[in-house]
Amino acid sequence: MATFILRRVASLVGVLIVLSLAVFVIQTVLPADPVRASLGANASPELVEQKREELGYNDPLTVQYARFVGNVVQGDLSTSLRTKRPVTDDLARFARPTFELAGCAALLALVLGLGLGVWSALGGRTASVARLVMLGAASAPTFFVAIVGILLFYRRLGWLPASGRLDRMTIQTGPTGLYTIDSLLHGNWAWFSSAVKHLILPAFCLAVGPAVAIGRVLRGALLDVLRLDHVRTARSKGLRERTVVLRHGLRNALQPTLSMAGLQVGLLLTGVVVVELVFAWPGLGLYTTQAIQQADFPAVIGIVLVMGVAYVVINALVDIGQVIADPRLRAKKA
Amino acid sequence: MTDNPAAGADTIPGDAVAVALTDAAPPPAPTGPSPVASVRDLHVDLHARDGVVHALRGVDLDIAPGEVVALVGESGSGKSILGATLLGLLPRTARPSCHGTVVVDGVDMLTGTHGEQRRVLRRSLGAVFQDPLQSLNPTMRLGRQLTEKGASPTVARRRLQEVGVPEAERRLRQFPHELSGGLRQRVMIAMAITAEGGDADDADVAPQLVIADEPTTALDVSVQAQIVLLFDRLRREHGCAVLLVTHDLGVAASIADRIAVLYAGRLCEVGPAAEVLASPRHPYTKALLDARLTLDGARADADPLPGSPPDPRHPPQGCGFADRCRYVQPGCLEAPPPLRDGVACLFPLALGDNTDRSAHPAAAEDTPVRISVGRTLADHEPGAADAADAATADGSAEPALVLERVSKAFDLRKGRIGSARLKLNAVVDVSLTVPAGGAVALVGESGCGKTTTLRMATGLLRPDSGSVTWAAGAARPQLVFQDAGASLTPWMNVLDHVVERLRFVGVPKGERMERAMALLQRVGLDGRAALAKPRALSGGQRQRAVIARALASGPSLLVCDEPVSALDATLAARVLGLLEELREELGVALLVVTHDLAAARRLGDDVAVMYLGRIIEHGPADELFERPRHPYTQGLLAAVPTTEPGRLAPTLAGEPPSPVGEQRGCAFVSRCPLAVTERCELEVPVLRPAGPNHAACHLLR
Repeated sequence: MATFILRRVASLVGVLIVLSLAVFVIQTVLPADPVRASLGANASPELVEQKREELGYNDPLTVQYARFVGNVVQGDLSTSLRTKRPVTDDLARFARPTFELAGCAALLALVLGLGLGVWSALGGRTASVARLVMLGAASAPTFFVAIVGILLFYRRLGWLPASGRLDRMTIQTGPTGLYTIDSLLHGNWAWFSSAVKHLILPAFCLAVGPAVAIGRVLRGALLDVLRLDHVRTARSKGLRERTVVLRHGLRNALQPTLSMAGLQVGLLLTGVVVVELVFAWPGLGLYTTQAIQQADFPAVIGIVLVMGVAYVVINALVDIGQVIADPRLRAKKA
Repeated sequence: MTDNPAAGADTIPGDAVAVALTDAAPPPAPTGPSPVASVRDLHVDLHARDGVVHALRGVDLDIAPGEVVALVGESGSGKSILGATLLGLLPRTARPSCHGTVVVDGVDMLTGTHGEQRRVLRRSLGAVFQDPLQSLNPTMRLGRQLTEKGASPTVARRRLQEVGVPEAERRLRQFPHELSGGLRQRVMIAMAITAEGGDADDADVAPQLVIADEPTTALDVSVQAQIVLLFDRLRREHGCAVLLVTHDLGVAASIADRIAVLYAGRLCEVGPAAEVLASPRHPYTKALLDARLTLDGARADADPLPGSPPDPRHPPQGCGFADRCRYVQPGCLEAPPPLRDGVACLFPLALGDNTDRSAHPAAAEDTPVRISVGRTLADHEPGAADAADAATADGSAEPALVLERVSKAFDLRKGRIGSARLKLNAVVDVSLTVPAGGAVALVGESGCGKTTTLRMATGLLRPDSGSVTWAAGAARPQLVFQDAGASLTPWMNVLDHVVERLRFVGVPKGERMERAMALLQRVGLDGRAALAKPRALSGGQRQRAVIARALASGPSLLVCDEPVSALDATLAARVLGLLEELREELGVALLVVTHDLAAARRLGDDVAVMYLGRIIEHGPADELFERPRHPYTQGLLAAVPTTEPGRLAPTLAGEPPSPVGEQRGCAFVSRCPLAVTERCELEVPVLRPAGPNHAACHLLR
């Protein structure tokens, strides 16, 4: 098991190397000239050439790549053309809210997905309700769910806020930058409840799609597993149906469910852009839109790297989860 | 017979010794005072997509405490449905509708509440199913599975020891895939004999009734004998009754007190095992006994029981067996005969009518029907015709297949980074010749390398060393797979399969249809079957379709992988008969790979026995079966159940060792009943002449 995790981490490094290469190639191939962009359109050719030499753009590509990787490893993603701040600082500031939102959404998606899957697989007469819920939720686009959510819970009922991360309040800067966790660490309940209230609507909107996808796969897998011989054995022991499903069915149905969950959480990182725009969430989504509009390449490359790492980590977690769920894979993969 | 079978204590050295069941067997009690299970007038209908299946149509059966009842019948007879009904586990998707009563321990399993049924399942019933790997939860440790019914860990450990699982303590923490097939079935049985007891840690309670549905069918012969022995011991130690659902009369004969024969959803004969086996009174029971393939040399007629069971969707009005019965009278067709004196037949065979089937006048007339087509296959196939001629002309024709010292090892990607790769030596130094038009049977237990050998023989797998030679100029050897259903494409009809193959071998378009029809007719499939999809065919028909497809290219060799292991005795006999006919008429040689020793005897001129990747004995079939030289062959043959009542087959102890890693010494050392010498431990024995046979054993003189 430990060997397997080590190997998974090793392959993670491999994927990151490929990712960095891809990012570097994009950077060098793109027609936009960062030097010209930083000096302005009226700079003299001599000045441009001097700046090029100075920044190392005339070096061989291999040297440039080595320098690029070296910088990235040291946390230097160069300076954003738009904000004039180091990209690393920008990312640190904007990625945290996004990861808080995406993390909550992923958790919510897993919980809702498991619930929907199990409910629709064994709910008896109410199973059709579960299937209807899933069908309806699957057909609604994210922005539509978001708008309905805002109209209902903000405009009509006034229960939940519709934008931002927090009400106006003074807060300490916490160690993690994730308000739900920092507020608890500081024991500030007003902060916590405000953070949670602001999270609910966007996280739910993000989670609906993945939850339905996970639920559907789980339902299918569970129905297949419940037809297997070992489930018959479990029933022949006189166990309650609920015990049979949860204890003998669920774990064996996790393989395809985890695969789907990994895929969906990965996609959720893309979906977060739309939701952040709708809910004015000060995260990577907003940062990305602005960076793209203004051709801020250092920023875009930073975003791609962060997202890539997150994606790879999610996949590694899914693989590890699958090995934990099925002991037969341990012999094969370890 | 209370020895632990796994400890090797009851291994019988040398020759086969029949162990008679002499003591402690509870007397057969058809109408005991308080049966543990009582089935009355049970009807079960299952709803399938294409109609209602009348699975059981009025079954009465009592099981007395401590009694072993064997429920025997062909597939589709309803025997598993009866087992499932007793457990309250009929498939829900089939929306079963039942009437009658099925009382187990005072609770009706049809009408009782879920709570009551679950209580009966936990306290009074145990279940063992066919496939021990599928029947255990792959993601749950065995200890947890063993204690789920309410037994304490102490009892679970004790049960594992009782069923002969070594290192019980460690096994409790293992997962099913870490155990061999035989051990898994032992664990399954251990689980079946746990029951919810009191709160005391050592409350040692066993259920009153164990329902075992084909518990030995998925196992190898030697392991099967061990499991049968285990059932016999357990029922005496714990006094639990056993309902043994099986298609194998041999398994039934060895431990059953009573035998109940089920046909088309009704019991046709119930009685003490000895009586039913010695003098069956229902014509169906007799036919079933006659159809059974045995190890004795007499080659049974190709089709001892013509026809097929009635369609369970439209059961006949009268006796279900009437249309296959050679003694049928007009009265048989009117109403189903009631079960009277243990037999449901208006004209039962007289008690003691034990006529030898070969002396039976009807049997002698029952020569296999030859289907004559205008142009036979041989007319179309120059290759086949040549082979036939060559085979009949003289024995010096080029062999259909020569394997010359072939070996094959598989890499196991196992072990930690940097450690040496482990090799699984599937086949080691196997030499084998199938003469033109000849028939060789390759037998052995699962994992012995026989399938790898077969794949190399057909060219599907390249040997690491050694050579594979086919007859020059002949079409490649063709494979007939074990699971005929899975080797046919579900949406293509049978004719399309054959036509496709003919197109592939370059037969002109205009001739394909005609030749395909001729081929199908040759294997006994009529026009309606030719146009049917595989799903609509019976197991026997599918096997025929696969054989027809294999014959399309006019091969000089058919390689059959377990051709009859999925079929009932009657169907198996017919398919074997067909293969014999094809060999005779087309001169096609056969290489049959099987774990079924009776099938090997029936088909093979020569038989080779494999153990752990090597051939350990080969010779002419008659010689090998009558005078086996190698102790493994002897043990294997002795382990085959016969229909002699109460004969418990002596068992080979243990299971084959792992084929991973380098083999030192004789592979059979760990199970050998002979006095093993140092030489056996250190030196791999080679095949040496032993009478007309060749055997690889140091201890042969």
